[in-house]
Amino acid sequence: MKKPCYYQVQDDEVEIFNYCVEHNLPVLIKGPTGCGKTRFIEYMAQELDRPIITISCHDDLSSADLIGRHLISAEGTYWQDGPLTKAVREGGICYLDEIIEARKDTTVVLHSLSDHRRELHIERTGEVIKAHKDFILVVSYNPAYQNVMKGLKPSTRQRFVAMTFDYPNAEMEAEILMHEAAINAELAQSLVKLANDIRKLTDIDLKAAVSTRLLIYAAKMINSGCSISKACKHCIIEPLTDEAETIQALGRVINAYF
Amino acid sequence: MEEVVGKLWDKWLTKQVSTDHVDARVELSTIQAQLIIFYRAMGGCPAKTIELTEPRKLQIKRTTLQKIAGSHQYFMVSWQDDKSIRLPPYIATFADSKSNENLYFWLVALAAHQPTMIHWLIDNQAATTKIISRYPGLKKIYLSLSQAYLAKRPELSDLPVQEQQAEKQIHYALTVPGSITSAVSSKFAVLPVPLWLYPARLRALPIGNKLSDERTGKGQRHLKEIKEIEQRKQVDYVDDERKTDGLLVFQAEALETWTEQVNLDRCQSDEDDSDNIDAIAKDLDVITLSRHRKAKSASIRFNLDLPAEENDDLRLGEGILLPEWNFKEQRLIENKCLLQTMLADDVKPIELNKKQQQISRDISKRLASLGLVQSKRKTQQSGDEIDLDAWLDDYSQPTKSTNKQNYFIDNKQHYRDVSCLLLADLSLSTEAYINEHQRVIDVISDSLLVFSQGLNQLNDKFAIYGFSSVRSQHVRYHIIKNFKMAFDGHVRGRIARIEPGYYTRIGAAIRQSSKLLSQQGSANKIMLIITDGRPNDLDQYEGRYGLEDTRQAIMEAKRQGLVPHCITIDKKAHDYLPFLFGQNGYSIVDNAELLPQVLPKIYINLTKH
Repeated sequence: MKKPCYYQVQDDEVEIFNYCVEHNLPVLIKGPTGCGKTRFIEYMAQELDRPIITISCHDDLSSADLIGRHLISAEGTYWQDGPLTKAVREGGICYLDEIIEARKDTTVVLHSLSDHRRELHIERTGEVIKAHKDFILVVSYNPAYQNVMKGLKPSTRQRFVAMTFDYPNAEMEAEILMHEAAINAELAQSLVKLANDIRKLTDIDLKAAVSTRLLIYAAKMINSGCSISKACKHCIIEPLTDEAETIQALGRVINAYF
Repeated sequence: MEEVVGKLWDKWLTKQVSTDHVDARVELSTIQAQLIIFYRAMGGCPAKTIELTEPRKLQIKRTTLQKIAGSHQYFMVSWQDDKSIRLPPYIATFADSKSNENLYFWLVALAAHQPTMIHWLIDNQAATTKIISRYPGLKKIYLSLSQAYLAKRPELSDLPVQEQQAEKQIHYALTVPGSITSAVSSKFAVLPVPLWLYPARLRALPIGNKLSDERTGKGQRHLKEIKEIEQRKQVDYVDDERKTDGLLVFQAEALETWTEQVNLDRCQSDEDDSDNIDAIAKDLDVITLSRHRKAKSASIRFNLDLPAEENDDLRLGEGILLPEWNFKEQRLIENKCLLQTMLADDVKPIELNKKQQQISRDISKRLASLGLVQSKRKTQQSGDEIDLDAWLDDYSQPTKSTNKQNYFIDNKQHYRDVSCLLLADLSLSTEAYINEHQRVIDVISDSLLVFSQGLNQLNDKFAIYGFSSVRSQHVRYHIIKNFKMAFDGHVRGRIARIEPGYYTRIGAAIRQSSKLLSQQGSANKIMLIITDGRPNDLDQYEGRYGLEDTRQAIMEAKRQGLVPHCITIDKKAHDYLPFLFGQNGYSIVDNAELLPQVLPKIYINLTKH
């Protein structure tokens, strides 16, 4: 049997999501890397007992990659549904992760799906698919990730019910660490304090903040015998920066705790 | 012979009284970059920087030997104010360098946990208690440092009875922080504790008092010459009620000693004997400066400095009122700055010289490769790859016309939706020489010339502005090229004619630039700011005030969807630029001569997809 998905509820996100499901509204989730966006969607899929289809967006993602394309077989060409079309036909949560990475012209195909019409137009076959009653569209992105040439089209983002996620508060984050990595409360609290100290440097000396995910990595390694300072260095500091000075200074912060 | 013996005697004596461990000495400069990051992580104010402390005179009870050697009068105590943390240039208190290094980190942690100090003895203990209860690692460090240090304190039996009480208190306070709640009085000061911070000397001084003005002289100066006096001097500010501004209105022979008054009127420091003044300043115990901000010579100088209107650039309009951020009040002060837009309308068109042409050709090649980094355009009539999807689509839909035959993927970038505004700092500090032939301003001018050539070739929309300022009511904003002007010889002429002058009130210039840039229709708007140092102006606009205002202006720009990026040649910029622009929001060009080559590279990195 599949291990149940663990998710620590932070605020009213489950309640809001349930309202969206009830009224078939599309959801936009904003939040920094590794704060639990994907885990939340997996958890909701489990709670609602719906399949989840995840699409990780990237630069080269074309609308054909979402909707589908013609392929060649021995008998000639045939149509192959893309992941989005599959979710629309069969129902389930279609989760487009890091949608900001996809090109703006690609995301336009979501427009007819994300308003009252809830239908998908397949231009190449001329088909119009009405979305399954269990279909729900969820997209996510990280607003801190700033690239000059990227951004979400206002007309796209205005079609979603939006929620902002952040790293959990200290108490909750410690609980998550204890649950995910089976470490004791004292160590979990120290790791969270350390993370919050390093988070003060976000947007000043560091581009991104320490994610809960990285903390879990460190906690897991510590639990299996790795020394605390080594685990913190390799799981928390090195992934965040390449600057030698910053790495050394953050090493000092680790030493302040352990 | 006398001299040799004297030197030997001095050396021997100094060695006898010195408690420093020279072999284990740790220099601040080697770990300064780490310390400031550590300070921020400990929760310290991100706008603060680290500076050198100055020797402070403390009257302690000296031994006979110390008296003969003339030592133990001045101490490098650490302290902080609302601008910076002042640390000693080196620490050699302990026999091992690890402990000396740890002491620096300890002091910084202490500074972060004790931003203001009311009572030296009590506050240091309180901050220590706070730190050791929160950070188990720092607790270990503190215990080992304090234990090792206590052994170095004077023996109680060597002190007079009255001093013994005070010394005992220090022992208790170091061993059990928080145990001493009030200080006993004593005739002498106790030997300063290097593990603690001391009160700021200049606590009552407003930020507007300037200790290190940008030099205002016009003579040739090498960058090396523009240096701070290595160790900050003790500064006593006097109320200059007679408003003499250091001008000696009495016979100089009447002066008894240099200590009383030195001709260090920075408003007039364009004399050639600047080296001499540095030397004198180093020898003096106390430098007396006037705290009268509206000193006459300052106002006279700057009124004279502003060119007569007929010799100045053409002023466009009455000026634009802009707000400024006051961090003390935590609010924007409306209409604080008056920005005057100016245009050099009498320039002759010019072409690039040979060297510039060479750099420009190199840049053109690099920019051409920028065109290759692009997104693919499918279903094209011609292109670099075959679009199998398009072919399949056509053949799987017999009803659809296949006459178009758009079966190619085109890899060329046809459309770069970018507007770029270049904002160049033209303050007087850019007059400094970076080598024998070039001033900073010359490098900036060269960079602007070749870069604008490149931008023109890329078809990116761009504008170039320069700025300087004389207080808030005269922010000079020079139009070199606006977004509508064509790039021609006149623009090049205006770039070649930029001149250094005045100060760096950068916040107002950024706000005006944001306004202009946000009016552009492009999806991507980049503001490149080229500068050579910190924000500063004649009034309170320096230090933390200037930094905080700049940070606000940058945040406002980001909120408008602009991408500000700062390019600086200030090697010390690591101290403050992360706070202003964020980790990836700035580039430091180590070798200023290479700015013309580096600038396009930075732009390429910023705008490639």
